[in-house]
Amino acid sequence: MIFDEKTLRKLDRLALAASQVRAGQIKGERRSLKRGTSIEFADYRNYTRGDDLRRVDWNVYARLERPYIKLLEEEEDLAVHVLLDASRSMEYGADFDTGNEARQKFGYAQRVAAALGYIALAAGDRLSLSALHGETPVDQFGPARGRGQTMRLLKFLQDLTTSGSTNLDAALRRYGQGPHRPGLLFLLSDLFSPAGYRDGLGQLQGRGYEVVVLHVLAPDEIDPPLAGDLRLIDIETGAPQDVSLDNPLRELYRKKVTDWCLEVEAYCLKRGIHYVAVSTGVDWDEMVLHHFRQRGLIK
Amino acid sequence: MSFLAPLSLLLGLLAAPIIVLYMLKLRRREVQVSSTLLWLMVLRDREANSPWQRLRRHLLMLIQLLLLAALVVALARPFWRVPTVASGTLVLLLDGSASMQATDVSGAPTRFEAARAAIGQLIDGLDASGSMSIILVGHQPQVLATATGDKAGLHDVLSRAQAGQGEGDWAAATALASGALRAGDAAHSVVVVVSDGGLPANLPPLPAEVRYIPIGSAADNLALRALAVRATPAGPQLFASVANYGDAARTVIVSISINGKLYSAQQLDVPPAGSADMVLSSLPSEPAVYQARLTLPASAANASSGRVDALPLDDQAWAVYQPPSAGRVLVVSPGNVFLEQVFAALSAQMGFQPFRLKAGQPLPPDPFNLYVFDGPITGTLPAGDLLLINPTTNSLFTVGATFTNTAVTQVTANDPLSQFVDWHGVHLLQAHTAQMPAWAHVVVAAEGGPLIFAGETDGRRVAVILFDLHDSDLPLQVSFPILMSNLLNYLAPASSFSAPDGLQPDQTLHIKLSGGETNLSVDDPGGGHTAVPADGSFANTGRLGVYSLRSNQTVLGNFAVNLFDPSESAIRPAASIRIGREDVAASSAQEQGTFEIWPWIAAAAFVLLLIEWWVYHRGMPAPRLRKSAVEA
Repeated sequence: MIFDEKTLRKLDRLALAASQVRAGQIKGERRSLKRGTSIEFADYRNYTRGDDLRRVDWNVYARLERPYIKLLEEEEDLAVHVLLDASRSMEYGADFDTGNEARQKFGYAQRVAAALGYIALAAGDRLSLSALHGETPVDQFGPARGRGQTMRLLKFLQDLTTSGSTNLDAALRRYGQGPHRPGLLFLLSDLFSPAGYRDGLGQLQGRGYEVVVLHVLAPDEIDPPLAGDLRLIDIETGAPQDVSLDNPLRELYRKKVTDWCLEVEAYCLKRGIHYVAVSTGVDWDEMVLHHFRQRGLIK
Repeated sequence: MSFLAPLSLLLGLLAAPIIVLYMLKLRRREVQVSSTLLWLMVLRDREANSPWQRLRRHLLMLIQLLLLAALVVALARPFWRVPTVASGTLVLLLDGSASMQATDVSGAPTRFEAARAAIGQLIDGLDASGSMSIILVGHQPQVLATATGDKAGLHDVLSRAQAGQGEGDWAAATALASGALRAGDAAHSVVVVVSDGGLPANLPPLPAEVRYIPIGSAADNLALRALAVRATPAGPQLFASVANYGDAARTVIVSISINGKLYSAQQLDVPPAGSADMVLSSLPSEPAVYQARLTLPASAANASSGRVDALPLDDQAWAVYQPPSAGRVLVVSPGNVFLEQVFAALSAQMGFQPFRLKAGQPLPPDPFNLYVFDGPITGTLPAGDLLLINPTTNSLFTVGATFTNTAVTQVTANDPLSQFVDWHGVHLLQAHTAQMPAWAHVVVAAEGGPLIFAGETDGRRVAVILFDLHDSDLPLQVSFPILMSNLLNYLAPASSFSAPDGLQPDQTLHIKLSGGETNLSVDDPGGGHTAVPADGSFANTGRLGVYSLRSNQTVLGNFAVNLFDPSESAIRPAASIRIGREDVAASSAQEQGTFEIWPWIAAAAFVLLLIEWWVYHRGMPAPRLRKSAVEA
């Protein structure tokens, strides 16, 4: 079971915060920046011919003797997209051998995705969830709306497996070109994609998505507990790399990882993309409930 | 540089396994990682920034090969040729006498330590085929090592050797050396004497070449050569004599302590190669231990150092005073004015009561401490100590014919019975021959046979003078009362225990007790405790100082052991020694010895080992390896 009841209840009280999304197709529990026909007052404007006379504010007309149309905030639903990198590199993690999936990057990402999806469903948002394999998003969930879809979501996530490598650039581009309504998009990935990821992210932004990069890394990837003469095997490609790991080299690697993460973060900041470094060393529910809320991803 | 064990260099082939092991070690362990992307970037950076890093990977192997090389070279025992006094098969005679404790050698605390260092160099210089025997020349020479080339073992026995406080028995030592030489190849052996001289002149020749390493430099030494306390009618009297063996006149203070408390101090001027005496009279009449100690007057240049000279052993002496006890002496004589006078004189001094009995009269039934028979013996000898003068055959020994070649030829050295008795001016008309009993030892002998002998048999002491006092001018000389005093001290000691004055280190003391005391033991000056054997002979007198004789924790008496040995106090190192008919001068370093340097190479190997350890751990700190993170 990915979630227990207690965690589900916690998630229920949260809602996603999205400031730059475009309007949805049906009214959800989220206020849109567009004026609409709901009961929440937003503004006045001059009456023009053809306006619905029922929306003229007669009280104002009586006072000012000029007709004004009362503008009301239109409530809309949010399109939430969760993209889960399902390459084999996501299998890596501290408890890779012991089978404790909670610390394994993919298992961790599954849980975070489920949390985000659940929050979206609970908030009445329109949720789409996809796993990225190779160059395309293959397994897809949704679009779905409403709390009633929770069990389906969890089942979908549970059935996901990792395989091969992911070309993030191509997969994100392909997703952006798909028939999806743009909205808030969470990318859960370790970004270990030889082809890169920037074009794909740019493409998504160009299509109007508000992108959140959840950069999932295991502590062992940040500070590898390795020493000696090793042959490192790339879990995705099987490509070997000989390395004699001594202390200076370990130090160099740590610095390289830090620089790389900072570089990704700087890129995201520059492009208006939300970036959150997600370490599987932190409990996933704490990550969602505290860190995401701290970063304004959840309100 | 040459090698003593060059075959060991073949062990250098072990370098091959090291290289192979190193290559095997480089068989890399395979570990799965999520991506090698970052690793590739890191390695590119590293190679670009630190070209020598690749070389560093081989540093460990280089150090290991150097370590192996050092070990192999050390095992091959490399050496340099160095000049040495002797090499090959050596027999070392190490002087362990008291004079070797002189402190006149710069760079070593004592002469003995300097001798030890000199022998240490000879050991180091031994070549592969060389061997060494070491004989420590003390009172009883000891063979410390026998014909061995084991340098570590030789150094070990040498380090445990200790100098004694008495004189060395060189005759026995040379006999041991001869034995060692005959057991090996004497023709190619060398005897090395490491000493400050002072060897007796009549040593037998040795069947090998002898070399001499003199030790010491100074001759300046003051010595207490005599200290004695005797009873006189006016009370105890102390006599002390200080000898100067140096080349300059010295002024010295002789401090006399009684039972550890300073009683008197007197300044003496001692001429070079001369002596000065002091006498203290009217001393306390109680039994006491007297100690004499030499100190320098405050005006002396080196008074503050507290040391009088280079040899402190002879700067102090001890004497034990035991007041005479009332003993009864029966003199059986046909009438001898000399005996009567000497016993009258000595009775007051020694505190015994003399009784006279005409020869031929029956002995009184009362026991006497001492029976003196002058002339022929009739009847059975009484059970008691005996002094027999000019006796006839009796139950103890047989007396033979007379002889007239009576020039004194032998006076037993260090025998308290002959102490201070000058026989040079003594003339004898005739004496009797006697069949020496097994229990007796000769005190004085002439060409024709023994003149005086003494011994102990059946629990009593017996002294025999084999001539008529009237046939000699001895009674007219000063030596006569001294001889009689010595004999009476021996035969009728003043107390239950009485040790002779002038007991020297390692001399055997025969303890005779009249009271049948049991559980006898002796406390020595060093705090040791030694049980006295059943025969009463106590030989553990190696230390100078005062010894206490106990019986079941009751102190029976004390006795003192003093150096009082001119041959040891004369510390001037001899320029040459005489062995057989050969004078042996100081030897120079005339041969080529070996100086092995493997210990230094082994030390270098150890340092390399530490460096290897440091390099390994600095380069590869043991990380907190989690099994889960490493795919075996």
